[in-house]
Amino acid sequence: MLDTLAALGRFGRFVAQVAWRAATPPWNHGDLFRHIWTVTVRCAGPVAAVTFPFGMVIGLQGLAIFDLFGAQRLLPSLISVAVLRELSPGLASLLVAAQAGSSYAAELGSMRIKEELDATEIMAVDSLRWHVAPRVAALVVACPMLNTLGNAAGLFGGFVMAVPIQGENAGVYWANLWTFVNVGDLVGGLVKTALFGAIIGLVACYHGFYATGGAAGVGRAVNDTVVRATLTFFGANYLLTSAMFG
Amino acid sequence: MMLLRVPLDGLQWLGGLAGFTLRWLRVASRTRPPLARTLEEAYRIGVQSLPVLLTISVFVGTNLTLQGYNAFVPLGGQRLVGMFVALAGVRELAPLIAAAMVASKAGTEMASQIAVMRTREQIDALEVMAVNPYGHLVTPRLYGILVVMPALSLISVFTTVASSWAVATWQLGLNSATFLEFARTSTRMSDLMTGEVKALVFAVIIALVSCYCGFESEKGPAGVGKATNRAVVVSCVMCVTFNYLVSQALYG
Repeated sequence: MLDTLAALGRFGRFVAQVAWRAATPPWNHGDLFRHIWTVTVRCAGPVAAVTFPFGMVIGLQGLAIFDLFGAQRLLPSLISVAVLRELSPGLASLLVAAQAGSSYAAELGSMRIKEELDATEIMAVDSLRWHVAPRVAALVVACPMLNTLGNAAGLFGGFVMAVPIQGENAGVYWANLWTFVNVGDLVGGLVKTALFGAIIGLVACYHGFYATGGAAGVGRAVNDTVVRATLTFFGANYLLTSAMFG
Repeated sequence: MMLLRVPLDGLQWLGGLAGFTLRWLRVASRTRPPLARTLEEAYRIGVQSLPVLLTISVFVGTNLTLQGYNAFVPLGGQRLVGMFVALAGVRELAPLIAAAMVASKAGTEMASQIAVMRTREQIDALEVMAVNPYGHLVTPRLYGILVVMPALSLISVFTTVASSWAVATWQLGLNSATFLEFARTSTRMSDLMTGEVKALVFAVIIALVSCYCGFESEKGPAGVGKATNRAVVVSCVMCVTFNYLVSQALYG
C-alpha cells in the first residue's frame, strides 16, 4: 500500500520533471523527429492490420442487426460513429502502447541496466531532457497521426465488408457515412489520442528509466508498461467520453 | 529493396513460427501433459490477468453504452442499448478484450521469462540435461492458457454487460428491466459458445507466438525487451485477424 503510494508519488515527480524539460529550451529536435518517424513507421502496419479487420467485423455484425429492421442504409453511420469516436483511438493507442511504449521501456531500461544513463549524467547531459522528453513528445505527435490512419483503415474495412462482400450499394455507403458524425468527433479523437500518447510515453519512460535487476528487470519493465499504460488510458477514455458525449 | 524486405521478413518469421509449432506438436504428441505444472501455470496466468481484465472490461462496457446510447438517441431507439451491448460484448468484444489483456500481461511475461532463459543460456542447459525445452517450457504454458482463457472470456462478458447496465441505469437513466430484457432476448447460447471457441483459438495464438518470440530472442537486455515487445504486438494483430476470419465463417 505504502509502496504503491511511493511509486505514484515518484511517477508524479517524474511527470513534472519531464513536463518542465519538454516546455523549456534547449530541445532535442534531432531525436524528436527521429522518434516520431520510427514510431509512425513501426506502428503504422500493426494499427492498420488491427483496425481494418475490426471495421470489417463491425460491418458484419452491424448488417446482421440492421437486416432485422431492414435498415441496412444505417450501417455506414454506425461504422463511422464506432470507428471515429472509440475504436480507432482505442485500438491505435493500444497498439502504440504495445509497440512503441514497450520498446521505449526496453530501450531506456537496457540503457539503465548497462549504466549508459549514468554515463550520460556524468558527462553533464541531462538524460531526462536528452532521452525522455523527446520520446514522450514524439508519442504525443505520432498517436494522433496513427489514429487518422486507423480511422481510414477502419472505415475502409467497413466499406470492404458492406459493398464488395455483402453487396450493399456503394453510393448509399458513402452518402450515409457522415450522418451522425461531424468534425467535432474527428477532432475529439485527435485530442484524445494526443492525451493517450502522453500517458503511454510517460508510463513507458518511467518504467524504463527506473528499471532495476538485469535482463529480467527489463522484461518486467516492458510487461508493466503495457499493462499499466493500457489501464490508465482506458480509464481516461471513459472520463473523456463521459465529458464529451455523456 | 526496403519495401520488399518487410513482407519477406514477415513471411520468414511466420515460417519460423510454423516450424516452432510443428516441433512443439511432435514433442507434445509423444508426452503426457504435465498436469501439476499446467495447473500452476493456469492459476498464475488466470490470477495475474484477472484484475487488469476486470478493469478494462468495466471501461469497455461503460464506453460501449455511452456510444451506443448516443448512436441510438437520434433514432429514438434508446431501448436498444441493451441489445447492442449484449451482442457486441458477447460475440466480439469480450473474447478480444480477454485476448488483448492475456497477451499484454501473461504473454509478455512468457516471452520475457523465456528470453531471459535464452540470455542466460538456461535453455541450452536444459538441452544438455536431456530435457526437451519445448516440452518443458511451452507445453505447460500453452495448456495452462487453454484452461483459463474461456473462463476469462466469460468473466469479461459478465463484467462488460454488468458495467454497461450500471451506466445505462444510473448515469443515463434508462429502464433497468428493458435493458436486461433486450440483452437477454437478443443473445443466444450459440453466441456465447462462439465466444468460447474464439477464446480457445486466441489462447493457442498467444501462447505459441509469445513462446516463439522468447525462444528466438537475441541475447542481452535489449533482446529481452525486443522479444517482449514483439510478442504482444504480433499476438494482438493475429488475434484480431483470426477474430475476423472466425466471425466471417460463423455469421457471414
